[in-house]
Amino acid sequence: MTSINENFVVIGENIHTSRIVLRDGKRHKTLENGAEAILYIDNDGNTRNIPVPDWFKKTQPYEQGQIKHFMIAVLEAINGNKNKQRECASFIQGEVLRQISAGADFLDLNVDEVSYKLDIQKESMRWLVNTVQETSTVPLSIDSSNSEIIAAGLSEIDSSQDNTLINSVALERLETFDLVEKYGTKTIITAAGESQMPKNDIERVENVLRLLEEAERRGVKEEDMFVDLLVFPISVDSSFGTDYLNAVKMLREEKGDAIKITGGLSNVSFGLPKRKIINETFIKLSLEAGVDSGIVDPVQTNLIKASSLDLDIEPHRFARNMLLGEDEFCMDYIKAYNQGQLVVK
Amino acid sequence: MAIIHEGLLGEMQYISKSFEQNHIKELFEKDDMLMQEMAFNLIYGNKGKIDELTKKALDEGYSANDVLDNGLISGMAIVGIKFRDNIIFVPEVLIAARAMKAGMVYIEPVLSASGVKPMGIVVMGTVKGDLHDIGKNLCIMMLRGAGFVVEDLGVDTKPDEFMDAALKHKAQVVGMSALLTTTMPNMGRTIEFFEENGIREEFKMIIGGAPVTQEFAEDMGADGYGKDAMECVDLVKEMVLVK
Repeated sequence: MTSINENFVVIGENIHTSRIVLRDGKRHKTLENGAEAILYIDNDGNTRNIPVPDWFKKTQPYEQGQIKHFMIAVLEAINGNKNKQRECASFIQGEVLRQISAGADFLDLNVDEVSYKLDIQKESMRWLVNTVQETSTVPLSIDSSNSEIIAAGLSEIDSSQDNTLINSVALERLETFDLVEKYGTKTIITAAGESQMPKNDIERVENVLRLLEEAERRGVKEEDMFVDLLVFPISVDSSFGTDYLNAVKMLREEKGDAIKITGGLSNVSFGLPKRKIINETFIKLSLEAGVDSGIVDPVQTNLIKASSLDLDIEPHRFARNMLLGEDEFCMDYIKAYNQGQLVVK
Repeated sequence: MAIIHEGLLGEMQYISKSFEQNHIKELFEKDDMLMQEMAFNLIYGNKGKIDELTKKALDEGYSANDVLDNGLISGMAIVGIKFRDNIIFVPEVLIAARAMKAGMVYIEPVLSASGVKPMGIVVMGTVKGDLHDIGKNLCIMMLRGAGFVVEDLGVDTKPDEFMDAALKHKAQVVGMSALLTTTMPNMGRTIEFFEENGIREEFKMIIGGAPVTQEFAEDMGADGYGKDAMECVDLVKEMVLVK
């Protein structure tokens, strides 16, 4: 059974302040008065825009041709007046609808990159949670590497909402389990170790099994957890694809059908061209291995299409071989790219 | 002499900026065919060829320094430009670094026997609270490829661990990496720790990692920032030169 079914849980990974649109891309527009803006469609179907503020034009991402639209919206909102806040909220809420329409079951919110100052991060998360839940029909996933930022987000969640997700608990920060208990949330648990990232498939599974024991001790139910087995980029090491896929198979075998297994599946294509082909192929391989959830952007990734791919056919065949560790240094894949063979027919 | 190796000449098409074209031409001006052939093979990561040619060059009496600068590092300059301009990708940079290492196997012993100091000594780690090491490892690979001695401090490196290692290895440069904004402040704390211990001025302290920016580096009082592993090498070179 490799086709995607309705039980597959999409943790929509888009409302992140690290996200970019390109200055020479479709969503960027120079207005009549010379100002730059990012286009979006609001919830009434009107095309609107959010201006790129001057402070952002002094940053390095801007100079490199990138605009961090979510970062701009969040920072402009928390520093702006009511009108500004409404404008920024309208932009965010447009993205909320886009994500849900594309199939997101949760909306993952991450503001870590707005600043390295904790109070700004917390204030941003509070504003974002309130803005998103105002229109969202799906629960939120509160994502941060710092549990104080997660706590700030959770404190704003509507009390009627009992499906909120925390992203994430790991052996290196068990204290996040306290928040799971305090707020009665669900949680993602990751395969990171206490003092280092897992080196292979076995370490991934071992770390997760220890976390599951800790969860049991605390009375956190298995059905309330998603296991993130950690996807690393194949461009760096040709075993990174199979490390993840094998870990999925091992954990599935160990824990049966009940456990929910997820991962940031598009991480795998970092550092390579034609990422979409790699991502779709990896989704298909991950489904075959036994994942039943993904932390992905459903707008960018067509899960139904990915699940019905034939990986024996080019161009996905190149990506499959690479992801299965059969293409050292991704040479065949890159060669195919250079020869114009990575074209979806 | 100009660029005479045909393959290397072909590489010039990938260098779009004219000032960079001039720079690359200058790099190769004094090189003969053998050095240019080495540079070409380095660009394509031909490990076996680099092994063979490095041995050959040293046997024929080229100085280890010349082979390093003219054969290998000049090739790496082109790799850097092609990577920045999306002509080549991460795996190809890694292959070039691996080829570089194959050449360094012969060059390093000659350099150290003749008392030539390494280009520089760097201690590098991911900061406290952060377990991400892919980017840091890429930097270390590239730095070693470029002839630097690098002490890898691993992940979750506390300020005192940076300090002890920097002193112990007599480093010129301390490199800090973070993938999380929530651990980025620990870069600043490490710099402060060096200040509190009165040794800040003895080291160049540089930072990098996905969420790190030039603005942040200035804010933290770091001496420099590198966007990726290639920039990291340029930055460390610059740091060692100004010292």
